[in-house]
Amino acid sequence: MIRTLLWLLAGAVLGGIIHIAVILSLPALSATSAWDQVAAVGTGPGPTVLPAATPNAPNPLRLDPELTYAVCRIDLRLGPASVGGTLPQAFWSVAVYSRAGTVVYSTTNRDGVGTALDLGIFNPAQTRLLAEQKLDVAEGLLIVEAREDDLFVVVRLAPPHPEMRARYEKALGNLKCGTIAT
Amino acid sequence: MLLVALAVGFGLSWYALSDGRLFGAIEIGPWSAWRDVGVPAPDPYTRAFIARAGALELGASEGIQFVATTDSDNRRLDRACRYRIDGSTPAARFWTLVPVAPDDGRPITRADGPLDFQSSRLSRAGDGSVELYVSKALSPQNWLEITGDGAFDLVLTLYDTSSLSGVAADVAALPSIIRETCA
Repeated sequence: MIRTLLWLLAGAVLGGIIHIAVILSLPALSATSAWDQVAAVGTGPGPTVLPAATPNAPNPLRLDPELTYAVCRIDLRLGPASVGGTLPQAFWSVAVYSRAGTVVYSTTNRDGVGTALDLGIFNPAQTRLLAEQKLDVAEGLLIVEAREDDLFVVVRLAPPHPEMRARYEKALGNLKCGTIAT
Repeated sequence: MLLVALAVGFGLSWYALSDGRLFGAIEIGPWSAWRDVGVPAPDPYTRAFIARAGALELGASEGIQFVATTDSDNRRLDRACRYRIDGSTPAARFWTLVPVAPDDGRPITRADGPLDFQSSRLSRAGDGSVELYVSKALSPQNWLEITGDGAFDLVLTLYDTSSLSGVAADVAALPSIIRETCA
């Protein structure tokens, strides 16, 4: 009886170890990461306007059909990155994702009054150059520091009505994803 | 022993990442959300959930997304039934409510009709409250026509909300999902 219980206990402990191993290794093993799917939609730095979620196609990124999305892919090894442009006066937000799909930084245009997006993304070495004033950046640039070099930026924009989607997608397509000259 | 180990190990992992209420997900009535899904350094469970879901998660300052798989009486959402979604939502710039297929996340509404509810485009009662219906058959008030058979999920996304940050988080105010009739 006691022997059986001990075996069960040992099984539970081993199960706990398997559980921890699964949880910790999943981010590295997952085959369906947001990064891969974003890479499949568009090559090049972008901006790539993601196709809208419709009932006719799978929606692995779980996009909100109400919103329009633009993606910029960023490699900080090429230099600090910038995402900028003018957006319509509606709700929009911007999020910087790491390769693993975690959100490094996010913000919105509070109260829908802001229309100018001007984001600069720097890795720690570039941030140091910035602090030493060895990098020349425009005033008012929103500075984000990221620890990884492979990133993607998603700009979400909410058209007030579905009829306005085409115009809002065009505005997203006119954003500029680029590299800040060093 | 090995059997117990495998069952506990993988079973617990599966449970933690699909239900997750013990592991970093918050639950309000039928709705659940992962609290730390949009922060820069999430805990290992949230990190594993993000990897497994492979979705574009909302950043913490952009908003929060709740998913309901059951009605308020804990029965799986079924496309054969008519659901009334009733109650108030936390303060947010706007919110959307989308019925989606559980496996691939596509909206299950009719392709040539509205795909979702958007909070600023609803007909409201005099006191500002809303009554939403999700069903295959014609329903009063705000109605979304869904198609197909089988289970579905409801996704409620609150944009630009501070309802879950701060100490006095007002999280009790999510609408209930009431099953009315089933075909």
